[in-house]
Amino acid sequence: MSDLNLDKLPGGFKGMSEDIGSDQTTFKGVNWGKAMMWIFLLSDTFVFSCFLVAYMKVRASVVEPWPYPSEVFALEMMGVPVPLLLIAIMTFVLITSSGTMALAVKYGYEKNRKMCGWFVLLTAIGGLTFVGMQAFEWSKLIFHDGVRPWANPFGAEQFGAFFFMITGFHGTHVSIGVIFLFIFARKVFRGDFDTGRRGYFTTMKSDYVAIEILGLYWHFVDLVWVFIFAFFYLW
Amino acid sequence: MFTGLLFLAVIIGSIVFHIWTPWWWTDIASNWSAMDDTIILSFWIGGGVFILVCLFMVYCIFRYQYKEGRRSEYKPEDKKLEKGLTWLTTIGVVALLAPGLVVWNNYIRVPDNAIQVEVMAWQWGWKYRLPGQDGKLGASNNRIISDDNPYGLNIDDPNGKDDVFVESNELHLLKDRPVKILLRSIDVLHNFYVPQFRSKMDAVPGTITYYWFEPNKNGEYEVLCAEYCGVAHYAMRGKVVVEDEESYNKWLLEQETFSSFTAKNRNNKLNKKKFVKINNLSSNKNSILKEQDVR
Amino acid sequence: MSDELNINKKRKNQIKTKSSAASGRGETDIDYVRPAELPEQDLYHGHSFITKWIFCQDAKVIGVQYTLTAVFTGVVGLILSWMMRMQLGFPDLFPFLTAETYYQMVTMHGMIMVVYLLTALFLGGFGNYLIPLMVGARDMVFPYVNMISFWMFFVAVVVLMASFFVPGGPTGSGWTLYPPQAILEGTPGSGYGILLMLISLSLFVIGFTMGGLNYVITILQARTRGMSLMRMPLTIWGIFTATVLALLAFPALLVSSIMMTLDKVLETSFFMPTIIKAGEALSYDGGSPILFQHLFWFFGHPEVYIVALPAFGIVSDLISVHSRKNIFGYRMMVWAIVGIGALSFFVWAHHMYVSGMSPWFGFFFATTTLIIAVPTALKVYNWILTLWRGNIRINTVMLFCLGFIVTFVNGGITGIFLGNVAVDVPLSDTYFVIAHFHMVMGIAPLMVIFGAIYHWFPLVTGRLMDEKLGKWHFWVTFLGAYSIYFPMHYLGFIGVPRRYFEMYDSPYMTSAVGMNEFISVAAFIVGAAQFIFFYNLVKSLRLGKPAGKNPWKANSLEWLTPDVPPTHGNWGEKLPVVHRWAYDYGVPGAKEDYIPQTTAPSEVKDAEVEKT
Repeated sequence: MSDLNLDKLPGGFKGMSEDIGSDQTTFKGVNWGKAMMWIFLLSDTFVFSCFLVAYMKVRASVVEPWPYPSEVFALEMMGVPVPLLLIAIMTFVLITSSGTMALAVKYGYEKNRKMCGWFVLLTAIGGLTFVGMQAFEWSKLIFHDGVRPWANPFGAEQFGAFFFMITGFHGTHVSIGVIFLFIFARKVFRGDFDTGRRGYFTTMKSDYVAIEILGLYWHFVDLVWVFIFAFFYLW
Repeated sequence: MFTGLLFLAVIIGSIVFHIWTPWWWTDIASNWSAMDDTIILSFWIGGGVFILVCLFMVYCIFRYQYKEGRRSEYKPEDKKLEKGLTWLTTIGVVALLAPGLVVWNNYIRVPDNAIQVEVMAWQWGWKYRLPGQDGKLGASNNRIISDDNPYGLNIDDPNGKDDVFVESNELHLLKDRPVKILLRSIDVLHNFYVPQFRSKMDAVPGTITYYWFEPNKNGEYEVLCAEYCGVAHYAMRGKVVVEDEESYNKWLLEQETFSSFTAKNRNNKLNKKKFVKINNLSSNKNSILKEQDVR
Repeated sequence: MSDELNINKKRKNQIKTKSSAASGRGETDIDYVRPAELPEQDLYHGHSFITKWIFCQDAKVIGVQYTLTAVFTGVVGLILSWMMRMQLGFPDLFPFLTAETYYQMVTMHGMIMVVYLLTALFLGGFGNYLIPLMVGARDMVFPYVNMISFWMFFVAVVVLMASFFVPGGPTGSGWTLYPPQAILEGTPGSGYGILLMLISLSLFVIGFTMGGLNYVITILQARTRGMSLMRMPLTIWGIFTATVLALLAFPALLVSSIMMTLDKVLETSFFMPTIIKAGEALSYDGGSPILFQHLFWFFGHPEVYIVALPAFGIVSDLISVHSRKNIFGYRMMVWAIVGIGALSFFVWAHHMYVSGMSPWFGFFFATTTLIIAVPTALKVYNWILTLWRGNIRINTVMLFCLGFIVTFVNGGITGIFLGNVAVDVPLSDTYFVIAHFHMVMGIAPLMVIFGAIYHWFPLVTGRLMDEKLGKWHFWVTFLGAYSIYFPMHYLGFIGVPRRYFEMYDSPYMTSAVGMNEFISVAAFIVGAAQFIFFYNLVKSLRLGKPAGKNPWKANSLEWLTPDVPPTHGNWGEKLPVVHRWAYDYGVPGAKEDYIPQTTAPSEVKDAEVEKT
């Protein structure tokens, strides 16, 4: 069994080079699943980067005028169009869900089954709210404003195409996250992580570290949203 | 033994093939002999490395073939040797790269006295547009291409009025006069390539690309499409005729200008041909047959 | 415990004890290896036929599954290439070979060979089989995900093959799938064919990502005691770097596939500018075809190294084992692999010199491309310096390695022609390009694959392959393939453009007819020779000479399992403990001419080992 004492590892650059030069593990004390999630997120970063770079390239080169975001994404409140209102709420909800996720991870490590479960569930509900609001925004753009992937009344048709594709791809990420959050909430409440019950498909033992791994994914999805927010709504 | 000899035969065979090959490039007919020179340079340096590496390998096969009980030398690293080889390779690479970059620099800088020629590519053929007396091509846009306006010229642009339309696959060029080829495509990617001129560039729909050369030998040359553009890609040929000023001018006079085209078109409006019909003009006979086979 | 992690101190201790060991002191410390950091891996052992052989979580079985599937697609690719050569060498002989089918075959041949054969075989096949064995792990870190990875790949292959049977046939847009033509009428298979291709590629990327994460984490986090990164065999370094490249490069392919699918299905205009077809403007407007090329080659160039780096790694090991000599300049080899991998992300636009992108990119990409030539050349030097003063067994494995060196150097040097921007202008899109990339990423990696199969077949099956058949297979393949692609460069010099269904009427191209016939005949023979190999495989599987343990007298861990072939869990009771790198061949003072990685220093006291 492990007799690795993480607190006594040398730090800094020297420590890093020693870890890399050592045997067995390169990232000392890092769980396999966690390492895997990090690498996956790196790969996923490239996916979103490709999307956003393509978006920037096309937006910079189209001749047709690009729609003005604060008008397109405005929401009418009591007869006054408020720019970016819905998006502001969506962003707030998603960022908040990152906070609840962080708390879930904290309670997970404290093996506080109840609190951990509730916060996972709260995060899932936050994510669901986000997806719901996104669906509302999509339907507003599609049915109210007449934006389509292949055309829109505001100008460059790539606006709709990129908007639906990138927010859709991100929304898919959020939805997958939400599904996993619900599953994990159930697992937490059932006590899988305390008893080390074996997974149905993977036959591997459950552990609270899974909450942290899911948390990594969730924070990443939030971070990506910040970029999408900046590039679509503020540019 | 046998192994070493066969590998040696492969190396010698390669050299012999290179020396006596009947397949070599076509006689150059443009100013880009520098490209041929860089290829030759690459051949000397690269070929030299290839031969040296392979000969050394063959030597090792002969000299160090397995013998029971013999020990190989134990020497994990040789810093000095590795450093030396690194420097040698770097020098070789610089020697190849530097001339290449110089030639490229010439390739992308068009001389001021170059004649502009617009090459318009479509599935599957070529047509051309020359600037008229004013030496300037009129602005164009693929969106407004129609039967009345086959090049999509902006009607309000005065530069376009005297533009010369060459609605056939045959282009004539003046000898010893640099040409700036402006490439347009109305559908997919194409590439205007004349092997004798050594130069090429893709035609990309939606933008205009360019390159230049200076034809310096009279003659007729075949134009090939060098970027895959669909099922009749292989049949997308054209013709370039390089000639002296006299015959060139004669040819030029036979061509239509935008204004004469519009005037004529107005008269002929009744028995107007569809744009597609022009297709048949530019594919050569063989390719028409082939295309029909395909369908 | 922190001082136990202090490797440098440990090293010094070892060196000290080594000198004192000679005088008979300090023997207790000499074999010291840090204790295990990780608990034993929890494995699922299959009970039924299905969980043992079909939905199996054992990386070795998954590796074999990947290999068989990849080889199957490879045979399809081979048959397609035969038909193409039939058309080019002897046009009009078969009436069913129309331009449409020809272009469909070109496309499918290219895509199958690059992605579904080479990538899947090197990373999925060899990666799965060798990584856990070579780093001393019991299995991949997530066997379940690994299993899904294979089945994703399998579905991707099924979807790809299905495109042969849909209306319109498979896509005929060239393996680069350049829009706008890929999704427009005028290109064969622009309906269902291209869609299935894009879906299949997306599935492949998803499946590969699952596998790739496993390979990377197994190598980084699941090595056995004593196995430091700088003791890993170069095979693992090659596969590791290639997998990292794949994880970062495939996203670009996924994104471009998604965008092109939308262009096709929803008529968005990501890659589609205004297009006039039959005098009418299509509904597309304002997209950028060059954007696709950038995305595609941002994937496509690393893809070349995804295939090449595992080949580099494997061939280094094969050469070292069979010339009974340590690999020359191990550290430089590692840095070269890593350096080539890193640089490969900055060279993609050298495929696009004449694509109409900003010509100023030419300077940058030509420079980066030629910089990559330096580490690559160093690897070649190190291979031949490994042969030098070695004790070379000329067996089938070694022959394939030698064949690799010749074809790789040849193809690498023509790569310098094409990477050097001005030299590329006359040569791009001609047969020179075809000859170049077939030599460097077709024949050269295939040589390694064959060598590797002859080398590791005894490990997988416990039986040796037939040497005589193997040698015939090698000579026909090598000489044949060389005589296909070496002369083909010269067709490129003439100016024969690639992707021409028929060369016929150009005056200077008629001289190429004889050459084309010759190349076609050679291609038929080389293709047929592969059936010697398949025969050899099947025959040796049943009748081959029993190999016993470690038939090649190799050092690396995969040969040191308690059972041959290794069973699930690989190592029996106890994980191996590694004491040295994998290349201690011909060490002076040692009794044998090889010292396996698990041999403790105290067992070979007299050996004058330089590096541990």
